[in-house]
Amino acid sequence: MSALGSTSSTSYGKTITVAVLLFILLTFSFTDLRYQTWLRLYEFFLWLETTPFGVIGKTWGAVFAVVEAIHLLAMALLGGAVIVGDARLLGWLFIDVPAREILDKAHKVFVVGLTVVLITGIFMACGVAGKIYWLPVFWYKMLALATGIFFVFFIRRPLLRHPLEEIHPRVTKLIAISSMLLWFTVAATGRWIGFAGS
Amino acid sequence: MINELIYDFAIWLDDSAWSTLLHESYYMYNWVESIHVLTLVVCLGMLFMIDLRMLGYALPNVPASNIARRLNMPMLIGFAIMFITGILLFYAVPVRTSQSVWFRVKMILLVACAVNAYLFHRRMNESVSSWDHDTKAPDRIRFGAIFSLGFWSLVVICGRLVAYDWFDCEYTDSDNFSQLLSGCIAGQERF
Repeated sequence: MSALGSTSSTSYGKTITVAVLLFILLTFSFTDLRYQTWLRLYEFFLWLETTPFGVIGKTWGAVFAVVEAIHLLAMALLGGAVIVGDARLLGWLFIDVPAREILDKAHKVFVVGLTVVLITGIFMACGVAGKIYWLPVFWYKMLALATGIFFVFFIRRPLLRHPLEEIHPRVTKLIAISSMLLWFTVAATGRWIGFAGS
Repeated sequence: MINELIYDFAIWLDDSAWSTLLHESYYMYNWVESIHVLTLVVCLGMLFMIDLRMLGYALPNVPASNIARRLNMPMLIGFAIMFITGILLFYAVPVRTSQSVWFRVKMILLVACAVNAYLFHRRMNESVSSWDHDTKAPDRIRFGAIFSLGFWSLVVICGRLVAYDWFDCEYTDSDNFSQLLSGCIAGQERF
């Protein structure tokens, strides 16, 4: 009985945390706070260009180009892990292999891909910080990326830690489709930063 | 001789109205390029999972043949769309692209990728029953996977470098070695 009570309070705790975070995010998005924060960040973006990453990115175009390519390769690794895991949840691939096996191993590959994407992404952002600051698509990408990371580590993984047979099939499918759409948005907005900045 | 033929062909493509339309259309060109990159993520994502499985780094408990068979189709669909959009991107900017040293290296690397993929699949199909459940594939299959990862990484790097104009015929001197590699034509007026 106490174990049941403990599980239920943990579930409510997570739900309340997510609700509070959503409330903060909405308040931030629809008030003047967002604009004020954006203005204050300008100095920070100018400072980014003076960091070693920023100096290297601006000085050596070839280094910047190779890092761009590594960023893309890491995005492919991340995309591969997302597609494999989500396709298993949707029942499109590896239905003869336990879902837990696929999800856990694909997640490890995802973490490696995400780490490289973040490191190379920070490097590139430092090199062109003064430019991307003014691009709305850059902020859309940051929003999509933050949502993607939050979704994976605070919604998808915790939910899928439960035995899959206890989760309604519609929920697992919804999780898989949301995950694919989120990472598609991250990749697409990332590509459009290049077009918007040219 | 071959460079003149490539140049004439590129000029012929460049003269077509569709090439100009595609090049001048901000949204169409950028969407074609975006689809090229997004399908590259799908194609290489699947390829990396197959190669990493052979090396024992991804999904080691799933039979290798199962991974290769199931991921082959999404990989090929991604490759087909990537190939079509790649041709469209070349068609939109034919002269500059055909005279890009990076594009030329990329084409050679793509041939190397195709030969490696053929050998990889042939070797795998010949022997997979004896090591299907092993965490790591035999050495010769693993070498194929390493070559695949290496060649495709270089393809992506070269593809990315095509966008940069360091060695463009338009901006280099005629005695520059890069002009030879790029196949620049003496006295050419279109770039």
